[in-house]
Amino acid sequence: MSDNEYVVQMKGITKVYPNGIAANQGVDFHVKRGEIHALMGENGAGKSTLMKILFGFEQPTEGEIIVNDEKVSLSSPTVAIAKGIGMVHQHFMLVPNLTVAENMVLGMEPKQKNKLFIHYKKAVEITEEFSKKYNLYVDPHAKVRDIPVGMKQKVEILKALVRGAKILILDEPTAVLTTQETEELFKELIHLKEQGYTLIFISHKLNEIKQITDRLTIMRSGKSMGVYDTAEISKEEISRLMVGRDVVLTVEKEKAQPSDCILSVRNLEYTNEWNKKMLDHISFDVRAGEILGIAGVEGNGQRELVDMLFNLSVPDRGTATVNGKSIIGRPQKEIRNLGVSLIPEDRMTFGIAGAGTIEENLMSDRAEDKKYNNGLLFNLKAMHEDSDRLIQDYQVLCKSRRQQVGMLSGGNIQKVVVAREFSSEPVLIIADQPTRGIDVGATEFIRKKLVALSRAGVAVLLVSADLNEVMELSDSLIIMNNGKITAYFEDTAVLDDAMMGEYMLGIKQQSPEEIGGVVHGK
Amino acid sequence: MENKRQSMFEFFRGFAAIAIAILVAFILILICADDPGKAMECLLVRPIFSNGAINLKSILTIFARMTPTIFTGLAVCVMFSANQFNLGGEGAVMLGGFVAALIAIYIPLGAGVHILVAILAGTIIGGLVMIVPAVIKVRLKASEMVCSLMMNYVIMYVVLHFLNNVFADRSKGATQSYPFMSSAVIPKMISNTELSWGFAIAIIATVTVAFFMYRTRWGYAIRMIGINESFSKYSGMKVGGMIVLSQVIGGMLSGMGGAIEVLGRDNTFLWLNLPGYGWTGITVAILAKNNPIMIPFAALFISYLNRGCELMSIYAGVPSEMIDIIQAVIFLFFAAEHFLAGTRQKIVVKDAKEELQKKEVAAAGEGGNK
Amino acid sequence: MFEQLINMVFSASFGYSIIRITSPILFAALAAVVAEKGGVVNIGLEGIMMISALFGVLFSYWTNSWIPGVIGAVVIGVLVAMIMAVFALKLKTDIILAGIAVNLLGGGGTAFLLYLFTGLKGNTASMTTPNMLTPKVHIPLLKDIPVIGQIFSGHSVLTYLAFLLVFLVWILLYKTAMGLRIRAVGENSNAADSVGVSVLKTKYIALGISGALAGLGGAYMSMYYSQSWNIGIVAGRGFIALAAQAMGQGEPVGAMLSSLLFGFASALGNKMEGMQGFSSYLVASIPYLVTILGLVVYAMSTKKKIKRFRENAK
Repeated sequence: MSDNEYVVQMKGITKVYPNGIAANQGVDFHVKRGEIHALMGENGAGKSTLMKILFGFEQPTEGEIIVNDEKVSLSSPTVAIAKGIGMVHQHFMLVPNLTVAENMVLGMEPKQKNKLFIHYKKAVEITEEFSKKYNLYVDPHAKVRDIPVGMKQKVEILKALVRGAKILILDEPTAVLTTQETEELFKELIHLKEQGYTLIFISHKLNEIKQITDRLTIMRSGKSMGVYDTAEISKEEISRLMVGRDVVLTVEKEKAQPSDCILSVRNLEYTNEWNKKMLDHISFDVRAGEILGIAGVEGNGQRELVDMLFNLSVPDRGTATVNGKSIIGRPQKEIRNLGVSLIPEDRMTFGIAGAGTIEENLMSDRAEDKKYNNGLLFNLKAMHEDSDRLIQDYQVLCKSRRQQVGMLSGGNIQKVVVAREFSSEPVLIIADQPTRGIDVGATEFIRKKLVALSRAGVAVLLVSADLNEVMELSDSLIIMNNGKITAYFEDTAVLDDAMMGEYMLGIKQQSPEEIGGVVHGK
Repeated sequence: MENKRQSMFEFFRGFAAIAIAILVAFILILICADDPGKAMECLLVRPIFSNGAINLKSILTIFARMTPTIFTGLAVCVMFSANQFNLGGEGAVMLGGFVAALIAIYIPLGAGVHILVAILAGTIIGGLVMIVPAVIKVRLKASEMVCSLMMNYVIMYVVLHFLNNVFADRSKGATQSYPFMSSAVIPKMISNTELSWGFAIAIIATVTVAFFMYRTRWGYAIRMIGINESFSKYSGMKVGGMIVLSQVIGGMLSGMGGAIEVLGRDNTFLWLNLPGYGWTGITVAILAKNNPIMIPFAALFISYLNRGCELMSIYAGVPSEMIDIIQAVIFLFFAAEHFLAGTRQKIVVKDAKEELQKKEVAAAGEGGNK
Repeated sequence: MFEQLINMVFSASFGYSIIRITSPILFAALAAVVAEKGGVVNIGLEGIMMISALFGVLFSYWTNSWIPGVIGAVVIGVLVAMIMAVFALKLKTDIILAGIAVNLLGGGGTAFLLYLFTGLKGNTASMTTPNMLTPKVHIPLLKDIPVIGQIFSGHSVLTYLAFLLVFLVWILLYKTAMGLRIRAVGENSNAADSVGVSVLKTKYIALGISGALAGLGGAYMSMYYSQSWNIGIVAGRGFIALAAQAMGQGEPVGAMLSSLLFGFASALGNKMEGMQGFSSYLVASIPYLVTILGLVVYAMSTKKKIKRFRENAK
């Protein structure tokens, strides 16, 4: 028995990606044997990267890892599993058409005496044995596609345990669970702890962390903000450490003079395929001349909301109109004709055609315009002129308009997207993570443009996980938590980081009257 | 790719693919030919040079033979650009040729008009039959590939039925239709050769398709949908309609090719089987990398090799089906993304380093001026 | 005319025809099933069948016995599938294009190879001897039962193998570890990867098995059905098999039922050919039309199923 109370020690972990982004900077992360340890942080804070390193999916640029007093190099998940580390992924690694028992033994199938066939009965026995031992009830014969989400998660946990994991990493385990299933899960986790297992619990849900964890480590911007005893730190303190800006960026802008309502969303509701209510009576207005920000930890319905506004998905109930005309379920061409532009979050899938030229990408929403067509053929002169002008106006660094867009840097790719979306004379711009993963220069440029357009009368809806962006760029903002709007601030100037944290993490919530302030029309 | 070095590399990669195919052919020839040297000479040289002089007739034959594959190559080019694996070119060619033949035989029209109407009919019917797999793909999400393949056989049997049971010329020994009216035959470009004015139409079609794909809003939409369908939908393009259009155009081009081949080569309908131009068209399109302007060159290349195999079979006894083996090998290596990928990666890295160096030098220059 | 037709359909010899005609399609359909389960689409079935058919005849000719012929066809089928696999999995050729290339090869390349090995041009009718054909099996006891005996006894040994393989493929996929891994890789390769299963190796194996089954289909055509090899021998069965796999929901038993449907359509066409009033050509197109119809019906029902599923979930 080792004297060392720490079963996992990660020292000075630094991870720099080839594109220069430092996901982890000198992070220390120590986990005691037999404890439930929370790893907290916003998206992009670096916690996923740290755990990918611990499970062998990634290698650290610097630093060392000690597991059970042994210095290890976790070069692949197979090695990590051999060292007793198991991961319960957020997006389940299960095969839907296989039974629970089959998923359990995949890769280590028990064979019958004739060495040919799988000893299915044995697989079922193993499943039942582990299921009973850890109090994780699963039906070995059921196909994974037929079982509820809660059971799927139990299978994921059992899969790790049956392969000998003594240290379990659980990645946002309650993201897909209902309240009932969450309670069940916690009982099981405590049971595991009592049997000597060590659990690392990745989450940003304060209530849950407070409920079952012993200690917690907070990460922010790739660094560790320290490790604390759960019982001795308040939610507000956690919030302050988790949500905050190292550097406050001020954006120069004149005060907003909002006028008419352009976008009106009323009572949007949507339950997803896992029976989770992602949008719960969402109502708000965006007015001409203002930038309305949507803040909140990712996964609280922002994604679904944006999808509904551009017909990438349809709500169960509710309406959304632009200048009085509905945009729910309308073909994208009609939505664009109403004056709506979208900067999509996934720029490679939706924002650009990578193998196409810059010009082809700039023209994708306006190839049918009379301006660019002389009868049957393109009016190439007009096209080339406008493309070159846009490239210049938006400072896209490239060889020419004929260059393949996929070859540009991330920032320049986004500038192409923005050039197209901003130049269609929109009345409403929906910007979803518009500056994620791009260089400082491009970021500044895009933000300036957004403000300029807003002051010229365009309505802007800004969804961003970047605190600086959503606090400084927005004139007003709403906070989303669990599919609901939990706060509305007409003037973002009154906000500070501590307040933001408390609302984003659900510690505080405004009254319905205060929230209702975001509805300006009927 | 913009970069010169990278374009040259792509050219070299294509060349390597062809070289490997010729090598494979060479090995097979060594095994089965009595005189391998003569066989190789037939394959590579004889199509142009024979008996010490340039064989003009042979060259013209090569040009004549490439006419139908230009059309099917263009057809595949359009369809594959939209990422539609519609393989129904074979059926469309046969049907287009047959319908044109019927008009040539039974519907008397004025001299120029007759040809035009016959070709037009073949074109339109080719487009119409492709609506079936296209709509099935767009509405039902079922494979346009299996559907189009089945249609090839259905069309073949329907045409054969009509040819044998309704329109056959019983006075002839072999199965064929009645002779075309002279007003419907496409005149030869150069008399006493196989080369008809159909070749000129093929070149016009090439230019038209090139303009269509790169200078019109429909061709543009088709290409963007093939590159990234989600992006195209998000940008407001009518994805379903364009997918159907791409396949219909493919059918029209194939039908046109069939009509022109039938009216330009012989004076009656002689096909008792699917003629095979559809499959060659796929090879041509792959070689041309889906670029319409390159299609005639790719078709020329394949036609040259085809002629070589033909000569090889006549003068050196090697079966002419060697062309299929050569085609398949070229096909496999040409379409292999990772063929010589290691070398390509080194070139990309080298380019990036050079770009970076250039920028650093430029920056240092500016810095020095401050 | 129709009365004649009905009488014919319900005869024992018609039942015999159905089984006889279904067999090669069944081999190919099973090949499609295994490949699809492993997440690799095998479009090259037609080409593999053609090439295997040729080599089946060649091997049996050289050894003057049918057994090496069948084994040879299987080996060649695996070989061609492996070539396809290398290009698709290692050199990253689009697997559909790789399949088309194999079909091209099978198209004319086989005639060339025939000449290469035997000096014959076009077909092998002149060199086929009875030793080279797969024997018919007359099952004792069964053959004497009226009607049933006529339908089920007296088929080629390969026919019985084809229907046995439905069961064997099912066992492979659902009872063996390799089958489990093939299904896992085909459905969620990330999940398989995360437990240490080699996705690449599994796909190679799936294609190999697919090639072997297609090889048997080819052998059936040249060493029994047509009793020799010629260039048109496979006639699109490799493509019909793809439709059979889709209509059979990708399962061995389903593929068998779809294959039987096409076998029925084909047999019907054949019989109608001989009768008055039916054009032999139009009737030959029946199986292909049935395939298109089958695809459409299947796609429509799948669409309805998905719609119903989504509405129930809300």
